[in-house]
Amino acid sequence: MIEIRGLYKSFGDHQVLRGVDLRVEDGQSMVVIGGSGSGKSVLMKHIIGLLRPDRGSVLVDGIDITGLDAKHLYEVRKKFGMLFQGAALFDSMTVGENVSFALLRSGMKAAEARQVAVEKLRLVGLTGVEDLMPSELSGGMRKRVGLARAIAHQPQILLYDEPTTGIDPIMADAINDLIIKMREELLVTSVAITHDMHSAYKIADRIAFLYEGRIVETGAPEEIKNTQNPFTRQFITGSAQGPIKIEGISA
Amino acid sequence: MKRFLELLGSTIIRFTTGMGSVLLLFAESLKEMLLPPYEVKNTFKQVLEIGVKSVPVVIITAVFTGMVLALQTFTGFKRFGAEALVGTVVSLSMTREMGPVLTGLVVAGRAGAAMAAELGTMRVTEQIDALETLATNPVKYLIVPRFVSSIIILPSLTVIADMIGILGGYAIAVWLYGMSSALYWHRAWNYLELNDIFGGLAKAAFFGAAIAIVCCHRGFYTEGGAEGVGKATTGAVVISFMTILISDYFLTAWLLT
Repeated sequence: MIEIRGLYKSFGDHQVLRGVDLRVEDGQSMVVIGGSGSGKSVLMKHIIGLLRPDRGSVLVDGIDITGLDAKHLYEVRKKFGMLFQGAALFDSMTVGENVSFALLRSGMKAAEARQVAVEKLRLVGLTGVEDLMPSELSGGMRKRVGLARAIAHQPQILLYDEPTTGIDPIMADAINDLIIKMREELLVTSVAITHDMHSAYKIADRIAFLYEGRIVETGAPEEIKNTQNPFTRQFITGSAQGPIKIEGISA
Repeated sequence: MKRFLELLGSTIIRFTTGMGSVLLLFAESLKEMLLPPYEVKNTFKQVLEIGVKSVPVVIITAVFTGMVLALQTFTGFKRFGAEALVGTVVSLSMTREMGPVLTGLVVAGRAGAAMAAELGTMRVTEQIDALETLATNPVKYLIVPRFVSSIIILPSLTVIADMIGILGGYAIAVWLYGMSSALYWHRAWNYLELNDIFGGLAKAAFFGAAIAIVCCHRGFYTEGGAEGVGKATTGAVVISFMTILISDYFLTAWLLT
């Protein structure tokens, strides 16, 4: 279980998170929605300990990771797999080396690690790509390789940073299906951040709306669809008219 | 006046913050270098990348430096009849000064820029974050191998530069000006002490450490996309060059005492 309590984070004078509270139960698929610059990525980086908050705590299975030293933090991180927005594949390595990276680092034999990599790539619908370089892949393929790398070490929690951004709608839907498949087959807890409402409705058990550094509303997809909160309503309908103002544009 | 003081204050704060950040990265690199597991395979890869691939450019730089040293010394010293000392001047200049400094500058320009650009690109494309999420310490995985291999490689390249530079001087003194080969070698070796060679190699090792830390630091903390990578790379080369030239004076002064 992941529990975020009163999380604050600023960069210089810019206050990004202003007291985020969020709870993700085991096996749940939580999707955090919010506009560009609302702090979604910053929130996700706190969940896996890439950033340390100014205030507040992030509990992973009861352990507050915000105060952990590097050694213990790396131990906790083994529970996580993360799919980055641009896939963040290591471009000096082949696809197979990317997927087997964590396995080789943990001491697994090269032949066995390659076998696992082939199996994980097959799980995301890719075969015969092990020896290709990331530069030879399309955007959608890169995302799938990133997903295979994230699940290679059998994590309990999967984080998705804008999983459908930058790819065509058909590939985006295929990625959504893969996210659902990961949850059902690997029984993982999922946290995704996105502003793609189609994706959010499809993959979420629970949706949380992040606005101005706080969680404004949390609910099941149906509850969010029928929300009366004017901020959430404006965001999910994608309207320029409403209480959320865009800097420099008068609605 | 107030504006000037504000500018001065912010410059001092920025400089000391930057220095502190470099020193912290240096301390962390030393710690990770000593703690197992050791990144042996990665270090060998960097030795190849930083060292072996720099050999041609080091050879070209050294041979022409030795040649121009001999050219200047022979014609200059001839005015007071001391042209026989050309071998001594070339060997002392190369081993004590030109070998380590020019090798440092060449490696900073070639491999240092590559370090900053590679780590900078990895930072802005979230590959360094990805390493962290895969429970891998990026300082240990990325910086320590570059740091260790630079300390090994710079003195090795300097030995090559010293030898090639002295040979370049030989070519000019003997083949162009008709000096006796035996006299050139006699003068080159007779006044050369082991301290000259090892002092130069010690400076080279220091330059190697400085180049690696400065360039890795600039790359590792890159911000702002492609433009940031460009700035990090330029900054890494400029700061490395300045570090080499400034520290060279103080190291030389220290070695001579």
